[in-house]
Amino acid sequence: MSRVLIVGNGVAGVTAARFLADGKPSHEIVIYGQEPYAYYPRPRLIDYIEGTLPEHKMTLYSDDWYAQRGIRCELGRRVERIDAAGHTIHLTDGGSDRYDRLVLATGADSWVPPIPGRELGCVHTLRTWDDARAIADCARGCRQVVVIGGGLLGLDTAAALACCGPRVAVVEALPWLLPRQLDREGASLLSGLLAAKGIETIVDQQCDRLEGDMAIERVVLKSGQVLPAQMVVVSTGVRSNTQLACDAGLLVERGVVVDSAMCSSDPDIYAVGDVAQFDGRVWAIIPVAIAQARVAAAQINGDRDTRYEPQVPSTTLKVSGIDLTSLGEVHPEGEELTLRKVDPDQGVYKKLVIDGGRIVGAIVLGDRKMAREVSQLIAAGVDVSAHSEHLLDEGYAFKSLLG
Amino acid sequence: MKYECLVCGWIYDPAVGDPDGDIAPGTAWADIPDDWVCPECGAGKDMFEAVSE
Repeated sequence: MSRVLIVGNGVAGVTAARFLADGKPSHEIVIYGQEPYAYYPRPRLIDYIEGTLPEHKMTLYSDDWYAQRGIRCELGRRVERIDAAGHTIHLTDGGSDRYDRLVLATGADSWVPPIPGRELGCVHTLRTWDDARAIADCARGCRQVVVIGGGLLGLDTAAALACCGPRVAVVEALPWLLPRQLDREGASLLSGLLAAKGIETIVDQQCDRLEGDMAIERVVLKSGQVLPAQMVVVSTGVRSNTQLACDAGLLVERGVVVDSAMCSSDPDIYAVGDVAQFDGRVWAIIPVAIAQARVAAAQINGDRDTRYEPQVPSTTLKVSGIDLTSLGEVHPEGEELTLRKVDPDQGVYKKLVIDGGRIVGAIVLGDRKMAREVSQLIAAGVDVSAHSEHLLDEGYAFKSLLG
Repeated sequence: MKYECLVCGWIYDPAVGDPDGDIAPGTAWADIPDDWVCPECGAGKDMFEAVSE
């Protein structure tokens, strides 16, 4: 019977555990989770902040879930270092544990740029349930909140806070919102929709410093503009938690470098989810964590043929009532053809990026069916050049191109 | 029969469907296309389980 340890109790960790538990012959499986909670889905933190999710509904898996599958779950225990040669992990509480295979699923943590004043009270980041509690508690007394960072999480957080009462402003350093997913026109449309929900968006502006006595009182931008705030949420990205891997001598770049079996530079250590880097990229989104965890589990279960194949990356912003999906490569850098249909009054925004006759990227507002069908076309690499004139027609049947 | 996303807990209720995702109310789980994903977290159909009520 082999012993598999999993470091991390998030999506990647529990998904790996779930599929490992299906393996034959069976393994001994132990999950070490730094947070003291059973698995909870991070998307719920937004609902928690908004006030629509009560405490007792946060965790998704009870203690029974682990026990029923023969998985031992060690909560609130942090791994301090990995002795790869000795196949042993050492914990901060002095404990240690041996493994035959190790799955690193340590995720990523919020990254805060070196803004002066970031140590002031009521300056938060959002990653964990404890973070969400602190933010929700703080929000109660606030008239104004500033969110630094206009990406997916920053906008979701801003929308949740706007529901609670305070006036919310989002500051984005790049020239437009959701810079990774949107182009200028799409972002401009989004800004308008957010303004209608009472969320002010300030783009192309960097934060110079945070000021206040003991707690935050104002945000000062490099332009000199001053934004009063009783709470700041910094949402400027995440960094993979690679320290354990670095210290153990594994190959680490932006994340722990893995091959298509999700195996690191050590043949007995796998890395999955937000901590893993495949083909030069760390995606840090849930569908990737799931897919990678399943591959690692299959491999450890003895299936050498199941390999990770990157999906068409897809992210959807669900700020209440605004359904915006970004697929694939949306920032053309060369000779790609861009088709676009914009109707701000109707709230319509559709963009397709076509390279060499094939759709390589898309941005779609309010039409998840189109987003889904286009995603299939991107994955299949279908040549659409004969149809480019009609692709953005109302209700175009993308499915018909799949043959 | 309702289905629950194992990753985030979102529930697919056939009576409600997922209209934004082009799944009309009344659509049985088996009739949802394979490339449909959980609207909350992006997990695929294969990460859903029937919920006993």
